[in-house]
Amino acid sequence: MAQIFPKWSNNFPRKLLIGSIVIGNTLVFTVWFFFAPEFLDVGYAPEQPVPFSHQLHAGQLGMDCQYCHTQVYDSKYANVPATQTCMNCHNQIKTESPALEPVRQSWETGEPIEWVRVNYLPDYAYFNHSAHVNVGVGCETCHGRMDQMEVVYQAEPLSMSWCLDCHRAPEKYVRPVEEVTTMGYTAENQLEMGRELVAKHNIHAPQYCQGCHY
Amino acid sequence: MDPDTQRTTMSTDMSTDTSTDMSNDLQHTTESDENLAPNTYWKSLGELARNKEYEDYEHREFGKEASELGDPVSRKSFLRIMGASIAMAGFAACRRPVQKILPYSRQPEDVTIGIPMHYASVFSHQDAATGILIENNEGRPSKIEGNPDHPASRGKTTLYEQAMILSMYDPDRSRGIRFNGEPSTQDDFVAAAASHFADRSRRVLFVSELSSSPTLLRLKEQALGQFPNARWVNYEPFGEANAFEGAELAFGQRLRTVNHFDRADVIVALDDDFMSPQSHKNALQNARMVTDRRKVMTTDDTMNRLYVVEGTFTSTGSYADSRKKLKASHVAPFTYALAARLFNATNASELRPFAGVNNEFLLDETLEAMVEDLVAAQGSSLVTAGYGQPTEVHAAVAAINAALGNVGTSDAAPVTYHVVDHVDGSESLASFADAIAAVNSGEFDTMVLVGTNPVFNAPSDIDVAGALDKTTVFHLADMVDETSKQATWHVNRAHSLEQWNDARSFTGAHSVVQPQILPLFDGWSEVEFLNTILSGEYTQGYNLVRDTWRSELGVRTDREWNAILHDGLRKETPGAFRAVNPRLTNGFGRAMEQAVGAAGVAGAGAASSTAPASTGSASDMELIIRPDAKLFDGRYANNGWLMELPDPMSKITWDNVALMSMKTAEKLGIPTERHLSDISAPIVKLTVEGRTIEIPAWIQPGHAEDSITVTVGYGREGIGRVADGAGTNTYPLRSTTAQYAAAVQVEVTDRDIEMACTQAQFSLEGRDMVRSTTLSDYKEHPKFATYKSVHGYEVPGIKEMEENGESDGPISLFNETYGPDYEPQWGMAIDLNACFGCGVCTIACQAENNIPVIGKKEVSRRRIMHWIRTDRYFAGDIDNPQVYHQPVPCMHCELAPCEQVCPVAATTHSDDGMNQMTYNRCIGTRYCANNCPFKVRRFNFFNYTDEYLTQGDDPEIVQMAMNPEVTVRFRGVMEKCSYCVQRVNREKITTKRETGSPKPADGTVLTACQQACPADAITFGDLTDNNSVVVQHKRTDRNYQMLEELNVRPRTSYLAMLKNPHPSLYEAPAKKH
Repeated sequence: MAQIFPKWSNNFPRKLLIGSIVIGNTLVFTVWFFFAPEFLDVGYAPEQPVPFSHQLHAGQLGMDCQYCHTQVYDSKYANVPATQTCMNCHNQIKTESPALEPVRQSWETGEPIEWVRVNYLPDYAYFNHSAHVNVGVGCETCHGRMDQMEVVYQAEPLSMSWCLDCHRAPEKYVRPVEEVTTMGYTAENQLEMGRELVAKHNIHAPQYCQGCHY
Repeated sequence: MDPDTQRTTMSTDMSTDTSTDMSNDLQHTTESDENLAPNTYWKSLGELARNKEYEDYEHREFGKEASELGDPVSRKSFLRIMGASIAMAGFAACRRPVQKILPYSRQPEDVTIGIPMHYASVFSHQDAATGILIENNEGRPSKIEGNPDHPASRGKTTLYEQAMILSMYDPDRSRGIRFNGEPSTQDDFVAAAASHFADRSRRVLFVSELSSSPTLLRLKEQALGQFPNARWVNYEPFGEANAFEGAELAFGQRLRTVNHFDRADVIVALDDDFMSPQSHKNALQNARMVTDRRKVMTTDDTMNRLYVVEGTFTSTGSYADSRKKLKASHVAPFTYALAARLFNATNASELRPFAGVNNEFLLDETLEAMVEDLVAAQGSSLVTAGYGQPTEVHAAVAAINAALGNVGTSDAAPVTYHVVDHVDGSESLASFADAIAAVNSGEFDTMVLVGTNPVFNAPSDIDVAGALDKTTVFHLADMVDETSKQATWHVNRAHSLEQWNDARSFTGAHSVVQPQILPLFDGWSEVEFLNTILSGEYTQGYNLVRDTWRSELGVRTDREWNAILHDGLRKETPGAFRAVNPRLTNGFGRAMEQAVGAAGVAGAGAASSTAPASTGSASDMELIIRPDAKLFDGRYANNGWLMELPDPMSKITWDNVALMSMKTAEKLGIPTERHLSDISAPIVKLTVEGRTIEIPAWIQPGHAEDSITVTVGYGREGIGRVADGAGTNTYPLRSTTAQYAAAVQVEVTDRDIEMACTQAQFSLEGRDMVRSTTLSDYKEHPKFATYKSVHGYEVPGIKEMEENGESDGPISLFNETYGPDYEPQWGMAIDLNACFGCGVCTIACQAENNIPVIGKKEVSRRRIMHWIRTDRYFAGDIDNPQVYHQPVPCMHCELAPCEQVCPVAATTHSDDGMNQMTYNRCIGTRYCANNCPFKVRRFNFFNYTDEYLTQGDDPEIVQMAMNPEVTVRFRGVMEKCSYCVQRVNREKITTKRETGSPKPADGTVLTACQQACPADAITFGDLTDNNSVVVQHKRTDRNYQMLEELNVRPRTSYLAMLKNPHPSLYEAPAKKH
C-alpha cells in the first residue's frame, strides 16, 4: 500500500507553525505601524491654491503668527486670514506675481480662496484654540516649526493618545503665555518652570471623555 | 388615512368576548374608587385597568417590533447594504477626506469665526410679537432664545418660537413665483402687477393675516387710498374676535383685555387655556405671571388660587387648583350663575342684569367656593374667558371684573383694557364672510391675499374657492398651499428670519424684525409684496421699514435706529396700546338679560350663535373645535419638531383625534377595549350639519361628558413631507355658525388606526414618581415629600450608613467617586409646582442638540428620540382626575446603573459630575438603556439624522439648521441628555480665560430647556456653590429624588407639587406622616 502522505509532509506542521508566526507578526506589525496616524497623517502636505510660504513670512520676515491668525486667543478656531490680510502688503509688494493671481482674483471678486485643510480632527472631537494658547500651549507644540515650512505639512499625529500625552503631564509642554507664538522655544528647566506655570494658570487639563467629545 | 395602518380588528364574537371582559375590568376599577386615593397615580387607561393586553405590552422594553427593521428595507437586505457599506468604508478610509477652508475675502467687522453672534428680532404670532434673540453662526441662524429685555418674552419662548428655525430651513417651502401653477420669475411678476394695478378703478379685495406691523398698516392705508373701490379684510381662523366683540357689547368699543395674573390672588378661567400659545396670544407672559405666584420655598410663602372651568382637558386645566369639567356650551350659563351669585354677595350695579338668573349652576359647589374667594379678594382677583366662548360670556366677564373692582389703568389693576390701533372691525369673521360673498356676486375683480390660506381653513359655508375662480388672485404664501394652487399668481414668502419687517407686542411694544440670512429661495416679505403691487416696482424691505419708522415713529437718526435694532425694541419708550377705564354701556343690561333668557331658565341650553342650541337626544352630543397645541391653525403643519412633539395632554404624535370621556365613549358605543392598548384607536364618523369626517376616537379622562373635542390643522395633501397624510382635516366641520362648538352626530365604524402615542411608553409600574400635597397640608407637614413620609419607612441602606458612621447616603455596592475640588459639580432641580406641561423644553432641547425627527411608524415602535420628555400622570377618579406633569431628562446619577453595564466604557462619569455619553466609543449593545431606571436613554435604530438630512432635492438646507457644537449621531449609537455639555464647556473655557477660575459663576450656564421654560421650572448650576439657585432649590422641603430607593443618587431632583384648592373642594387623602 502506497503511503498516503509523501515524505515532505513530515515537515509541514513545523513550517506551518513558523510560517503562521511570521505572517501573524508581520500582519500585526503592518497594521500597528502603517495604519497609525503617525505614519498615515504626519507629513501630509497637500498642494495649496497659493504657494504661501510660512518659511518666508514667519521665518525670514519674522511675522508673528497672530498677524494673520488674529482670533486664536478668542475663538476655538485659529482663523485662516481673509484675503484682505494678504492684500495689506501685497497691494504694494509683488503686485504682478503670477503666484498671487488667486489672491488678487479673490480680492476683486469677493470669492474666497479655497485653502486645503492640513490639520484635521474628526467631527466628534471639539478642539478649542483659545483654551490652549491662553494657558501657554505653544503653536509649535502641535503645529511644529512653521517658520521652517516651505509647504505646510502636518507635524504631529493629532491622535487621541498624542493629545493625552500632554493632558496627563502638561508641565512637560507648557511655556509662558508671552512665548506661545515663539518658534524654536526651549526652556532650560522645562519641568520646574512647567510645574510653576501649571499652578499659576490653574491648569487641569481634562482627561474625561466630554472634555473634548460631545 | 394610510391604508397600511388601517386594519380590521378581531371578529365580531371575539370582540364581544373581550368587551365583556374589559368592561368587567373597568367596572372593577370604578367600584374600587373609594380605595383609589387621590394620590394613586396612573399614566394611561390600560395601566388603570391592568388587563392582560396591557401587561403584555408594558413588559416589553421596546415596542413589539422595535428590534425589527421594518420598512422600507427588510432586515436581510439592510444587512446586505450595511455589509457593502462597511467594505466600502474600509477602502474609503485609506484616503484622507479633503476639506476646504474658505476664509472671507473681506473680513466683516465684529465677526469672530467660531463665536456665534446674537441678534435681536421679534417673532409674530398673528398680531402679537415676542422678542427673540437669534444665535447666528457665521451668517447661519441656528437657535432662537427669548429676548430678556422684551416685555412679551422676558428671555423665554413658546413652542412656536423654538420651532420657527426649522420652518425656515424647510426644503418643502415654495421656491419661486408661479403663474397659473407654472414657474415664473420675479421680473414677470413685477411687470404683470404693474400693468394689472395701473388701473386705479380696479375693484380689489385685500385679504390679509392679522398683523400689527406699522409698515403693513401704512401700506394698507396707501392701498385703500390708491384704489377707491378696494376693501381690506383680515382673516384668521382663530383669534380674539369674540373677546373684542364682547368688549364692544359691554363698553361700546373694541378693546383688548390684558390680564395681569401676577396681580391676582384668585383667578377664574372660564374655558380659557390662557397658558397655551395656541389659545392665547399672550400665553408666554400669562404662564410666567401665574407661575411666579406659585414659587413656594418656605412654609411662610403664599400661592394664588386658580379655578378652571372647561370642557377639554387643557394644560391650564391641569395646572388648576380646582378644575370643573363642563361642556363648552354650559360655560355661558355657568358664567351667568357666577355673576348672579356675585350680585347677591356684592350688590354691584354692574351685575344687576344677572339678578334673574336661575339655573342648575347656582348651587354648584365649585361656584360656591369661587364666589367666596372672589368676594374676599375684590380688587385682586381676575376672571377670564377663552377666545372660543361667545361674545356674551366675554361681556359678562367684563362686568364681573368691573363689579369686583379688578379693572383699572393703574399698575395694580389685575385687568386693564387697551385701545388696539390696528383693530377696526376688519378682523371679524362677519366682514370676511361678507367680502367673500361680495366677490361671489361679482363686486370685485381682483383678490390680493397676503399670507392667508382660506381655501384650507375658512368655515365650510364660505365659498372661498368659488371667489378665487371669479377673480385674478395674487397670493403670497410660505408653501404652494391649497389657496396657492388656485391662485393666478403665487409669490413665495420670505420667512420671518429672512426679512425686514416690524411688529408690535400684545401690549403694543414696537419692534423691528431683522433678517438673519438672505432669503434662501428669494422670497418676499408681506410688505415687499404689497408694495410691489401698489407701486408697480420692487423696493427693498429695509427701505420700506426704515421709511415707516422715520415718518410714523419719529426715528430719525441712525444712532436711534441702530439702538432699536440692537435692543430689539425701543428701550425707553417701547410704545404701548393706550389703556382706558371703560364704562358699561346703557345697552349692556338689556343685551345681557336677553342672553340670560336665551340660555334658558333651566340652564342647560347653549347660549349663542356660535354654540347652537342642541335639539333632540341624538344631537345632545356637542363638538368643540380648537386650534391645535402644536400646529395652531395648520400653519406649522410641515414642522417636524412640532409634529413629533407629544401633545401636552393626550401625548399623541403625528395625529389629531376626537377626544372624549370614558362615559361618553361608552354611551356612543365605542368599544373602549380597543382603546386600552394605547397603540390603536377606533375610527368614528362625525357629522355636523350634514358634513362628515372620519377621525380616530381617543379617551381623555377628565373630558366633559356628552362632548367631543377635535383640533384643526391636520390632514394636508401636497404641502410637504411632514404635513402630508398626518391626521385628519377637521375644518370641514367648521362653519360660520359653528366656529368653536356645534351639535354633532357620531357613528362608530369597525375600523382601527394605529396611533403613535407616547403616553403608555416606558411604563413606570406604579412607582412613586410624583409627590404632591396641598399648600395647607404642606404648612402643617413641611416634610411631606421625604421618602419616609411617602412610604412610612426610611430609604433602604440608611441604617447601615449610620452604623458605618457615614453621612453621605445609603450604603452602596459600588465605589463612590467624587470629582476633584477644582471642578464644578453640576446639578438640576425641576419644580413640579411651576411645570404645566407645555413641552417647550423638549423642542428647545431638540433644536440645541440636533435630535432627529423619526416619523410616526418609528414613534409607535417606542423609538422616540427626545432627550427630555414630559411625563403626564393622572391621579384619582377616571372621570375627573388630577393631572401632573413631570419633565424627565437624564438624571446624571452619581452611581449610574448605565455606567456599570457598558462593556466598552462608552458611558462614564466626568470630573464635573456628569454622566457622559461618548458616541465614538458606543457599539450599540443597548445594555445601558436596559439598565436605566428612568428610561431616558435613546437609541439610533437607524441613521435617522442622515436620512433626514440627505433626503429630498436640497439636503444642504436642512444641514444648515444643525448646531455646529454638537455631534450628529450615527446609526447604532446611544444618546441622551448631556446637561447641554457644549454650553457648559463653552462657559468653562470663557470663564477660565477671563477670570482664571475653573468654575463658571452661577447663572452663566443655562441649559436649553432651562432657558426656554416660561415658568422657570428648571434650575441648573454648580452644587459646590452654596449660593447658587439650584442649591437653594435643593435645600427646600419639597425637594425629592425620583426612585430614591434605588440609591443611584440622581443629580436631577424634583420639587414636589403643591395645590391650593379651596378647603371645601379638597378631601384630604389618608396619609402617612
